[in-house]
Amino acid sequence: MGQETLDCRGLACPNPVLRTKALIEKGDTDRVTVLVDNAAAGENVSRFLGRTGYSVEILDMDGVFHVVGLRKESTETVHIPSQDTKISVENKIAVMVATDRMGRGDDVLGSKLMFNFIETLKEMGQELWRLVLVNAGVKLAVEGSESLPALIGLEREGVTILVCGTCLNHFNLLERKKIGETTNMLDIVTALQLADKVISLS
Amino acid sequence: MEEDPNLLVGRETSDDAGVYRLSDELALVQTIDFITPVVNDPYDFGRIAAANALSDVYAMGGRPLTAMNVVCFPIRKMDKDILREILRGGLEKIHEAGAVLLGGHSVEDPEIKYGLSVTGVVHPDRVLPNNRVEDGDSLVLTKPIGTGVLATAIKAGLVSEAAERQATETMATLNRYAAEIMLKYPVHACTDITGFGLLGHTLEMAVASGYTIRLFVEEVPLLPEVLDSVQMGLLPGGSFSNRNYCAHQILQVTPVDPMLMDILADAQTSGGLLISLPEDCAVDLAAELKSRGVTGAAVVGRAMGRSRGVIELA
Repeated sequence: MGQETLDCRGLACPNPVLRTKALIEKGDTDRVTVLVDNAAAGENVSRFLGRTGYSVEILDMDGVFHVVGLRKESTETVHIPSQDTKISVENKIAVMVATDRMGRGDDVLGSKLMFNFIETLKEMGQELWRLVLVNAGVKLAVEGSESLPALIGLEREGVTILVCGTCLNHFNLLERKKIGETTNMLDIVTALQLADKVISLS
Repeated sequence: MEEDPNLLVGRETSDDAGVYRLSDELALVQTIDFITPVVNDPYDFGRIAAANALSDVYAMGGRPLTAMNVVCFPIRKMDKDILREILRGGLEKIHEAGAVLLGGHSVEDPEIKYGLSVTGVVHPDRVLPNNRVEDGDSLVLTKPIGTGVLATAIKAGLVSEAAERQATETMATLNRYAAEIMLKYPVHACTDITGFGLLGHTLEMAVASGYTIRLFVEEVPLLPEVLDSVQMGLLPGGSFSNRNYCAHQILQVTPVDPMLMDILADAQTSGGLLISLPEDCAVDLAAELKSRGVTGAAVVGRAMGRSRGVIELA
């Protein structure tokens, strides 16, 4: 039933992993919090705990990463400190984009705004869950699109990008799609249903 | 920037070594590289550090002639036998490369570091830069990757003896043999895989050449137990930086397992050569390398067309 905190700030890889390993090998630790001061160590400790049968959350508090591992068979719930926690997965936001331009008035301006919008989406942080591209929105995901680097960045952060296959086919862009999962209307409807909040741009 | 008509390769192309023309027939290749220990045995570390430093000359298409030791060592606190073993390993590699040791310089330092300053020669018309990838090229890699992960696993004592031995021998292998075979082929560009990992050095080549390069992820040879070690959380910090640095210039044509992505970004010590040459020659080169003892050789990528420099993963 043990609960342990391990301060590994200032330690370089692989030492945080080794200290964590030594701690949990003593046994009986249901909940372990490891403090590290760099993202690399945080990811490594998180992987190690994940592989050793813990569910893991990383909380970034002013540059100190709290890697919280909870043994999976344990019934305790992870208590997430409020306020300064940057990572929370309580809200799932789906953004549906049905155009390659933002708003009406001037198309050149509209394209620039759309580029900016996609660039800035990352500010939603962990709550951004899915990005659905339909109709002319699929043009953002094909080769030559200025938004590709931003979309790649989002995907790396764990955002699932769904690209409408019917739409790609309609614009003859199936071969040129560079990112995201080519998908169907059922997946899109399911994504919108499961999301806690849907933001739609058309 | 330095200006001199005889300066053939300088700092600006982030190439492996500098090249300076002495005559129409002869150019000087100069490089220096020294590292902190990546294995526990001092003799092995010496061999690896020397092979790592000599590699830059091979990557430019050159032949090493002379070397000088660069040493940082806690001479008053640590057994001098350890230093002797490091230097013995280094000298063995210098001789294997057909070069001679001229001397060296040492500094007292709490942390051990060892490497070489190497001088070699190359014909001025046969310098292999990193920026001349052409249409229709394929890329051949001559060693398996994963040495950064395994060095971390070795430090942690979490790797089998067999895997440690194989990683050690891979790092201690000179790129001389691969380079000698490579020089028989119409090579357009070459670099060696070191601190920026396969991803970083391929990206460097892609950007410098103005090409999109596609890496065939499944074809890249990995050292044993690398995947397991990454899943254990044994990726070195430098490899994380590589991954994040490259992230925005990578397109996943097919989704790549994040653990495999980390290995592609893993910082290598004394990695293999990455050689760009016409596709049919690349297949022949890989086959000849394999049949002549460079067992880790494989065709791992292809030039996909002009761009600002992008890596596609497929």
